[in-house]
Amino acid sequence: MARAIHPAASPPRRGPALDRIEDYFAGRFEAMASPCTVLVDGDDRDEAAALVEIAAREALRIERKFSRYRTDNLIHEINHANGRPVEVDEETAQLISYAATCWEMSAGLFDITSGVLRRVWKFDGGSRVPGQKAVEACLERVGWGRVTWQDRTLSMPAGMEIDLGGIGKEYAVDRVAGLLAAQTARSFLVNFGGDLFAGGLRRGHRTWGVGIDDPGRTGQAALYRLDVARAGLATSGDSRRYVQWRGQRLGHILNPKTGWPVAGAPRSVTVVARTCLEAGTISTLAYLQGPEARIFLEQQGVQFWIL
Amino acid sequence: MQLGPAGFTSSTSALRERLGKAALALLLVPSAAMAEPAVTAAAAAAAANQVDYTALYYGEQSRVQVYEPIVRATRLFGDGQSLSAQLGIDVITGASPSGARPSGSVQTMTTASGRVVNVPAGSIPSVRFQDHRAGLDGEWQKPWGKIVTSTFGVHASREKDYQSLGITGKVSAELMQRLLTVTAGGGYNDDSVFPVGGTPVGLSDGSEVSKRANSKRVTNLLLGVSRVLTRRWILSLDGSRTLEKGYLTEPYKVISLVDPFSGEPQAEVTDNRPSTRTRTSALLSSAYHFTHDIGYASYRYYRDTWGIRSNTLDLKYRHDLEGDWYIEPHIRYYRQSAADFFTTGISSFLAPPEFATSDYRLGRLTTLTLGASFAFHVGDNPSQWNLRAEYIRQAGDSSPPSSTGTKSSFDLSPPINTVTAVLGYSFNF
Repeated sequence: MARAIHPAASPPRRGPALDRIEDYFAGRFEAMASPCTVLVDGDDRDEAAALVEIAAREALRIERKFSRYRTDNLIHEINHANGRPVEVDEETAQLISYAATCWEMSAGLFDITSGVLRRVWKFDGGSRVPGQKAVEACLERVGWGRVTWQDRTLSMPAGMEIDLGGIGKEYAVDRVAGLLAAQTARSFLVNFGGDLFAGGLRRGHRTWGVGIDDPGRTGQAALYRLDVARAGLATSGDSRRYVQWRGQRLGHILNPKTGWPVAGAPRSVTVVARTCLEAGTISTLAYLQGPEARIFLEQQGVQFWIL
Repeated sequence: MQLGPAGFTSSTSALRERLGKAALALLLVPSAAMAEPAVTAAAAAAAANQVDYTALYYGEQSRVQVYEPIVRATRLFGDGQSLSAQLGIDVITGASPSGARPSGSVQTMTTASGRVVNVPAGSIPSVRFQDHRAGLDGEWQKPWGKIVTSTFGVHASREKDYQSLGITGKVSAELMQRLLTVTAGGGYNDDSVFPVGGTPVGLSDGSEVSKRANSKRVTNLLLGVSRVLTRRWILSLDGSRTLEKGYLTEPYKVISLVDPFSGEPQAEVTDNRPSTRTRTSALLSSAYHFTHDIGYASYRYYRDTWGIRSNTLDLKYRHDLEGDWYIEPHIRYYRQSAADFFTTGISSFLAPPEFATSDYRLGRLTTLTLGASFAFHVGDNPSQWNLRAEYIRQAGDSSPPSSTGTKSSFDLSPPINTVTAVLGYSFNF
């Protein structure tokens, strides 16, 4: 996971917390089950607080709208439609269309219907893997190819589910970045659980320094530092959620075709692109290629780091 | 850790292009929280500002390596004025030839930091070094009416043993319905040289040093005329004269004291150069715009009061590919004569000369450069990437006719091969 380098940690608080660090402000809040950080260059505390507030509100809006763990949103309605077609709003439609493009471009490896498999897989660092029968039973309810998607209307066989978690966080980062850019000329950095967007050079032509965690020592040391001015950045990997099986470490990203975690993938893939969404999609697609991740990335013409 | 290629492949990936478009389409949808589309709002906010970021890597075969990122920001104003600032940082590591000769037996030397190094027999003595340089440049351009434009610039840079502060000014006028441009300008630099470990006395064994900083003042004048001959052809002539005064010696360079009978180096003495130098140069350049392509040719003649004369011929051809892509091959030939006081070694039996240097850059030199630039876009993004690679072969005057004894068996200035690659990226924000 990539995270911005900053020395201080803030005490736990409700709502966004704002700290002054060197010559910028750092706002922190929790959203989408991840620690979220918004860094704002400059000396204006009120402005920074207002920007962090905007960021937190947008992050929570997106979480409420697209979380599959809630019962009061459209995703819940889609997942419990029992085969009935569901019409969705423009934003949801665009997000689903984006996911459909990813599915098509990855020949089915990126699939928003693969979340069902998580019922049988527990990535808690332990060594239990599900039986093949259970995996196969799940696979019958997986596959974007079984979904009918047109005219903003989605029809899916009963028992299938969609989960936009794979792109929702990156989408939220870019959305927030867009909102902040419309509000301020200051440089900022939006980091939601390691997926981030840096919005321009800081004062004095300085960049934002982003450390890449060593996947073997999460949270301990920022070993590698990337200097970014304006770019989206995302990391895919197994540093936090995995299962140990027959001496192999299986990360939480599942291959929707086999129902098993992707084998032979690098521990972590970091990609820099124009937007966080693009970076996140490419790093996920690369990870899904397993041992071929590096070759895949070289073909994409993006900057990347494999650890 | 494996590093990815710095953002370029032979062809843009179709997958990435499609994902990029899909991501943009998604991000352009107005969400409930905003009235304005996110990306366009950010982009439209300041289209007149541009930031360029370039990282340079430079390597000489087992000698010097330089990594140099540069950021340049430009602001354009409605009335034609522009302000720009550039920040560059160099990190230099490697070894540079000290000027001493290779010998048949092992030589020992001290470096600027006082460390003793041993040199294997027959290899060219060199000094290991590591240096950082930071430079800041500012430029203000202002049009005065429709004919005259002035440019004013300031410059400051600092490294471990060198500081440079300078100003430049330039006025250009466009005459004859812009067919003729006349430019006049000048610059002044006030530099300081403060070698690590003090400044050695010239032509000494280096043990006598002065701790004071040495000043170096440079005054430069230039005059240029550029004429549009036809719609496709432009021709320019530029002349420049530069006066340098002060400490012009290279404090870390040495010259071998040679036994005239055996040719073996006996000891080393420090470099010593005159304290004034006047440089004069004339550059004739021309560009011709073919139907699609552009050809450039230039010739430069240079002479200075140290006795160096040089001729440079430079040819470039830009071939436009589809879209805004282009490729530009480049060839450059450079030849210079040696400075009057250039020597490959001083006889230990004779009285030392007043000035002497063994710095290969002041010796007879021929350089051939072959290179190409390639500019391209990634996806629909208007930002442009620029990749430039150059191969430089530099050959000195190998074994001078005066070489005797063992020294003639060594190539005193073997050809140096250099490869430079520059990747640039520019975008609007």
